[in-house]
Amino acid sequence: MEGFCSGLHRSPHKGFSVEFKEHRPYVRGDEVRSIDWKIFGKTDRLYIREHEQETNLRSTILLDTSGSMGYCGVRAGGISKHHYAVRLTACLAYLMLEQQDSVGLVTFDSEVRRYIPPRGRASHLRAILDELGKSRPQVETELAQVFHELAAKIHRRSLVIIISDCFGDVDQLLKALARFRHARHDMIVFQIWDPDELDFPFRQWTQFESLETPAHRRLVDPAHLRQAYLENLKRFRDQLTAGCHRHRIDLVPMTTDRPYAEALASYLAIRRRLK
Amino acid sequence: MTLLNGILAFGAAAFAIPLLIHLLNRSRFRTVSWGAMHLLESVLRVNQRRVRIEQIILLLIRCAIPIVLAFCLARPVLTGWRALPGDAPTSMVILLDNSYSMDTADNGHARLAKAIDHAAQIVAALPRGSEISIVRTGGEPSPLLERPIFDAKTMARQLQQVRGGYGASDPAKALESGLGILAGMSHARRDLIFISDFQQSDWDVTTPDRMAKIRRQIDSMPIRPTITLLDLGDTVEENISVDSLEFSARALGANEDLQIRANLRNHGSKAYDAVRLRFQIDGAEQTGSQIALPAKATAQTLFTCRFPVAGSHLVAVEAAADDRLATDNRCEAAVPVLDRIGVVLVDGAPSNQPLEGETDFLAVALTPYTYGRAKLSDLIETKTISPGELDEKALTEARVIILANVPKLKDEQVELLSRYLGGGGSLLVFSGNKIDIAWYNKVLFSDGAGLLPLPWNEVAGGVGGEEKPLRIVSQHFEHPALEIFNNRENGNLADAEIHKWYRLGQASPNAADPFVLARLESGDPLIVQRQFGEGSVVQVATACDAEWSNLPMRPIYLPLMQQLVTTMASEATPPSNFPAGQPLVAVLPGQSQASPLGLTTPDGARHTVQPVPRGTQSVVEYAQTQEPGVYTLVGADAQPLHFVAQVSRTESDLRMLDATRIQSLAAELGADGVSSAAEYSALDRSRRHGREIWRVLLAGVLGLMFLELALEQRFARVRT
Repeated sequence: MEGFCSGLHRSPHKGFSVEFKEHRPYVRGDEVRSIDWKIFGKTDRLYIREHEQETNLRSTILLDTSGSMGYCGVRAGGISKHHYAVRLTACLAYLMLEQQDSVGLVTFDSEVRRYIPPRGRASHLRAILDELGKSRPQVETELAQVFHELAAKIHRRSLVIIISDCFGDVDQLLKALARFRHARHDMIVFQIWDPDELDFPFRQWTQFESLETPAHRRLVDPAHLRQAYLENLKRFRDQLTAGCHRHRIDLVPMTTDRPYAEALASYLAIRRRLK
Repeated sequence: MTLLNGILAFGAAAFAIPLLIHLLNRSRFRTVSWGAMHLLESVLRVNQRRVRIEQIILLLIRCAIPIVLAFCLARPVLTGWRALPGDAPTSMVILLDNSYSMDTADNGHARLAKAIDHAAQIVAALPRGSEISIVRTGGEPSPLLERPIFDAKTMARQLQQVRGGYGASDPAKALESGLGILAGMSHARRDLIFISDFQQSDWDVTTPDRMAKIRRQIDSMPIRPTITLLDLGDTVEENISVDSLEFSARALGANEDLQIRANLRNHGSKAYDAVRLRFQIDGAEQTGSQIALPAKATAQTLFTCRFPVAGSHLVAVEAAADDRLATDNRCEAAVPVLDRIGVVLVDGAPSNQPLEGETDFLAVALTPYTYGRAKLSDLIETKTISPGELDEKALTEARVIILANVPKLKDEQVELLSRYLGGGGSLLVFSGNKIDIAWYNKVLFSDGAGLLPLPWNEVAGGVGGEEKPLRIVSQHFEHPALEIFNNRENGNLADAEIHKWYRLGQASPNAADPFVLARLESGDPLIVQRQFGEGSVVQVATACDAEWSNLPMRPIYLPLMQQLVTTMASEATPPSNFPAGQPLVAVLPGQSQASPLGLTTPDGARHTVQPVPRGTQSVVEYAQTQEPGVYTLVGADAQPLHFVAQVSRTESDLRMLDATRIQSLAAELGADGVSSAAEYSALDRSRRHGREIWRVLLAGVLGLMFLELALEQRFARVRT
């Protein structure tokens, strides 16, 4: 991994470090200070001494705080998607900081609400938790626009963790994610679902009121729409999964009735693969 | 339409329940703050219109279910046909087929018995005050009682008296008769039931025009009757019948041989190698024979018999077969055997010299045994009188009067002869040199209104001159009197030479042309015949003695005169065998038979009939001869006179209309078809009270529920 602080992750860069890697013949242009003079003294040949540098992981968590994340179904035990996402974010931040990785946080809805740059200090967790504590799901989402904006903002190659329900236009979203990938960021997308959104269990007449635009209401007989809804949902998820796979983005669907450990296990498994 | 549980129909208001549920659902909805609106929106965008239509359809079905269920529980009754209260009395005509095909045994019971049983059940089930008439359709349609009656019990009793064995039904005539009776009945509800085996042969002869006429008759009736066809028949393949007995119509004397030909028919496809036939005379079996009867073929067998005693005799031929219709296995006929035939010869030119008188040859020819002093007795008994002796007494004893060269008669004698002929007598007129042509033509011919068939014209030919004699044309003779000469072994009429004869004039345009029995070579008629009243007159253009022809010298003279006279005598006698339905006519000699006579009909009943004078004789007429069989008239002399009412054997073909044809027939008549009284009762109930449709409605409820379930599932399927 690439990072400023040394940590558990191996850096692809060779540099000054205590961990010797190898010697190689000097070529013009190499820094003179890298020449191993002891070898020169013994062999009259110029060798460059190379060291393996251990760096910290640089990651940024993008937390969706749009209104759609505020949904809380009955089976979720009172935990809305937003709460679930906040807790997941906190866990991940804690875990990364414990590993002496740098972690940053971006909260957004239709625009970036708060940007906390990645830091590796333990005290940085407080800042992240404070921000998470203050975040509230509200207004509409503009994932594609926000991601384009953030892709331009995060220069250094890092791990980008997106925690969102990814509701919106799939094509636009995938284009935005592709831009992260183009900037050589590694990406994990935790897609947060409430169980109700996956099986549409409603039976009686229901007025669905949009969490993002409360004035948007629809009175329907859900029983008649369930099959069509589920089919539409499947198509949405299939498109997103296929797109993420195409861009080599890890998509981890999460439902709010599942324990966080599963999410963390998924994350660690992915990290292990990245090493 | 009426409702038996009308109160439950208010349950139809329950249709509001699904409507209310729908409206309540819409008004008492739950609100869900939903995040995945973009998924929902796209679904709604595509499906909103469909979902709305589907919801309306489902709502309509759900509303319909309680309505139909309530309607079902209310037990609705379709009363589309009903114009009157269900218990209103009806006017009913039952056409009961009692033709002899109904004697066919089905499972040991005759179809007629079943038909009577069904009719009795139908009559018994009629509402009080109903008017009933039953028409027997066998032979000619005839009502069981003269007028419709209102007493069902009496009619039920009368039904048990219905006898079968009648001739072929004429369905069209029966329907016309039934509709005619129905038109005169009193109640506003009219029913016509035709109970029959619906035999194919009966309906095949019913033309489409007849059916169309019946249809028009039905349509023109002020109150349209309901018509029901009650079918009791099924096709029977095997049946044989004795179709008829044929024998000569010539008068038969005692101890004369009579050949009787029995015609048999096999209607089925099973061949009979040896059908045993029994020949009976007056109930006593005389002889038997066996005959092979191939499949669907006819056969004949000949029985020769002789009757030693004069009188009326019954002959019967019976085939011993085990088919299901026994009625047509026996055929009967009455054979009148005459003791003598009284013939009065009126001699217009008598002579004391042998064979010189005008009728001498004739008397010898008619009574050859008497003149030959043979032991045998002549059938014919002659009496020769002069023209002045022709009076009522002479006519009373005579079956045939022969005028031989009679110049003229008195007016009262002509009047007497007219009455004699009108009562069924026979007159044979020979010409001669003494006849007063002018008188004959004026009085006896009288421009076609008189007794004579044709007027006399001029004399032709000549005796002793150069005129060449003519011969009788030897043709095929149609008249029964001359039929025997078609066989040359019995003599040739052309052997005789006719020297002189009268040319006969033209018949009056007002009268029918007489029948020419024989002609001369010149084409002139020699013997002609015409009917006069009930009798017949034969006119011969030449003389009966040997003066104008050598006919009396020829061997054929005797059989010619015998045949002519006996045939005339038998023609004068009304037939003893006649088609059922035609009046029975018996002619009794003299007017003295004024006392009532007893008549036994085929059903064994005894009736009293009163003879009426006709001409110089007495006549008994009995018109109720619909029932085939033997009618026996017992006169004052206790000698029975048998008559047989016969029917054609068309009914013996036991192929019935199939279900398809009965259906089309019912459709044509606007009728319904049933097969039993019970079915008729159910049909009648539906006609009177309407047809209960709760079962249909219950099925409808279940169907709607199933439909609702299926649509619910169907509508919930994916449509994106």
